[in-house]
Amino acid sequence: MNNFLVLLTGEIQRMKKYNILGASLLVSIIWIGVLHFTEIENVSNIFPLLIFLDATSMSMLLVGVSMFFEKQEGTLKSLLISPINKNEYILAKVFSNVVSNIITLGILYAYARIFKEIDINVLGIFSAVILIGFFHSLIGFILTYYSKDFTGLLMGMLKYSFVFMIPVLLQEVGIIKSELIGKILYIIPSKSAMVLLKSSAGGIDIWSILLSTAYMILGSVVIYYFVSKKFDKFAVKESGV
Amino acid sequence: MFKVKDLTFRYPKNKVDTLKGLTFEIKEGEIFGLLGPSGVGKSTTQKILTKLLDNYSGEIKYKDKDLKEYKKEFYQEIGVGFEMPVHFSKLTANENLTFFKKLYKSNADTDELLKKVGLYEDKDKQVNEYSKGMKVRLNFVRALLNNPKVLFLDEPTSGLDPKNARVVKDIIKDFKDNGGTVLLTTHLMNDVDELCDRVAFLADGQIAEIDSPKNLKLKHGQRVVDLEYAEDGSTEKASFDLDSLGADEEFLNIIKEKKIITIHSKETTLDDIFINVTGVGKDE
Repeated sequence: MNNFLVLLTGEIQRMKKYNILGASLLVSIIWIGVLHFTEIENVSNIFPLLIFLDATSMSMLLVGVSMFFEKQEGTLKSLLISPINKNEYILAKVFSNVVSNIITLGILYAYARIFKEIDINVLGIFSAVILIGFFHSLIGFILTYYSKDFTGLLMGMLKYSFVFMIPVLLQEVGIIKSELIGKILYIIPSKSAMVLLKSSAGGIDIWSILLSTAYMILGSVVIYYFVSKKFDKFAVKESGV
Repeated sequence: MFKVKDLTFRYPKNKVDTLKGLTFEIKEGEIFGLLGPSGVGKSTTQKILTKLLDNYSGEIKYKDKDLKEYKKEFYQEIGVGFEMPVHFSKLTANENLTFFKKLYKSNADTDELLKKVGLYEDKDKQVNEYSKGMKVRLNFVRALLNNPKVLFLDEPTSGLDPKNARVVKDIIKDFKDNGGTVLLTTHLMNDVDELCDRVAFLADGQIAEIDSPKNLKLKHGQRVVDLEYAEDGSTEKASFDLDSLGADEEFLNIIKEKKIITIHSKETTLDDIFINVTGVGKDE
C-alpha cells in the first residue's frame, strides 16, 4: 500500500482543482442555510438528518463524478499502467470522499455550535460519518461500473435514493408510522446509516446501534469485495477495449 | 526482453480471435515496430504486453519470467506513451508529472525532458490550455518520467510538426543508445524506416512478415537498377539486373559515355510492403 498516500493526496488535490470539493462546500452552505432558517434553536435532532443526506448521496455522487472525469480524460489508463494496485486506487477514492464528508460535518457542527444549540456525541457522529461515507462511496463505484455516462449515473442514484433513502426519510418525518415497516427497513443500508447518525444525539436502543454498526461494517466488506472483483473488468473496458 | 509464443486472444463478445498465435521476440536494446492496419491487433498486443489484458493463451516471457507472475513492480520498468492525451486537464503539466513521479521509485529529470520537447515555458499552464501537439509531447514525457527500461509508444509523432517530430525521434534514438528497448506502433512508415531495427507486419491477427526494414525492402523489391540518361537531345530509360551489374557491358558503357540523369535501385518502400503484406490500404 506504499502508493496509497500518493493517490489519496492526488485525489484530494484533483477534487479541489475540478471543483468537486467546491461543490461539496456549496452543499454544506445550503445545509447551513437550512439550519439557519429553521426556527428550532436546538438542532441536535435535525442535524443527523442533514448529515445523512451528505454522507449517503454526496458520497455516491462524488465518487461517480471523479471517475467520470477520469474516463473522459483517459487518465484512468495512465493510472492503470502505473505501479499501483486496484486496492490502493479504490481505497484512495473512498477515503478522499470520506475526507470531504468530514469537512462538511466539521463545518456544519462548527456552525451549529456557534449559532445554535447542539448536544451530540461528537466522536460518535464522526465515526458514523466515516462508516457511512465509506459504504456509500463503494456504492458509488458500483453505480459508476454500470453507468454508460453521467446521466446514467444520476439515474442510478435516483433509483437508489427512491428505493433505499426515501422510505427511511419518510419514516423519520413521521409519514411512515408502522412499527413493522420500521423494523423491515433494517434490511436496507440507509436505515442503518440513519440509526448510527441519530444515535449520536442519544435515545436509540443499544441493539439497534450494534445491528446498524454490524450492517455497515459487514456491508462494506461485502461490497468492497464486489467492487474489487469487478474493477478488472471495468479497467479493461475503460482502457479502450 | 519479451519472448512471445503462440499468443492468442479473443475479446469476450467476439466470435473470432483477434490474435491468432503470434510468435515473436523483442530483443533488449532494439526498437521493434508493430505495424498493420487498424483493428488488426496491434493495440491488443500492446495491451497484453503492458498487462492491461491478461486472459490470453500462449506464453509471454519478460526477462525469462512469465509475464503473469509480475505484479505492480513491472510498471516500475516500463513507460507507455498513449496515442490519445491522458492527462488531468485541470492540473498543470508540472502538477501532472509531479503526481505521477511520486508513484515511481526512479524519476527522470522532467524539467530537462520538458525543455527538450519545448514545453518547459508552459509547464505551469493547465493542460486544457495545451494544443494537441503539446499534449502529445506531454504524453511522451509522461512515458519517460520513471526512467523506464522498456518504452511502449503508440503513434508518438502523430499530430506533431516536423520540428517537434524530429525532437521526439531523437529522444527515442537516445533512449535506445542508452540501452532502452522500444515497442513502436505507428502508421508513419518514415518513422519506422528511421527508427526501427526490426518490424513485424500484422495481418488478420497473425504476423505476416518480421525482419529489419532493410531486409524487407530487399525481399519485396526488384533487384534491378533503373537508369535515365541523355542521348541525342532526348531522355532514354534502361533497366539492368542488380546482381550482374559489374559485368553488364551495356550498363558500363552508358555510365562511362552518357550523361546520367537519374539512377535508382528498385528497392521498394515500407509503404508498399505495408500494402502488399497486409493486403489492405494502410489508412484502413
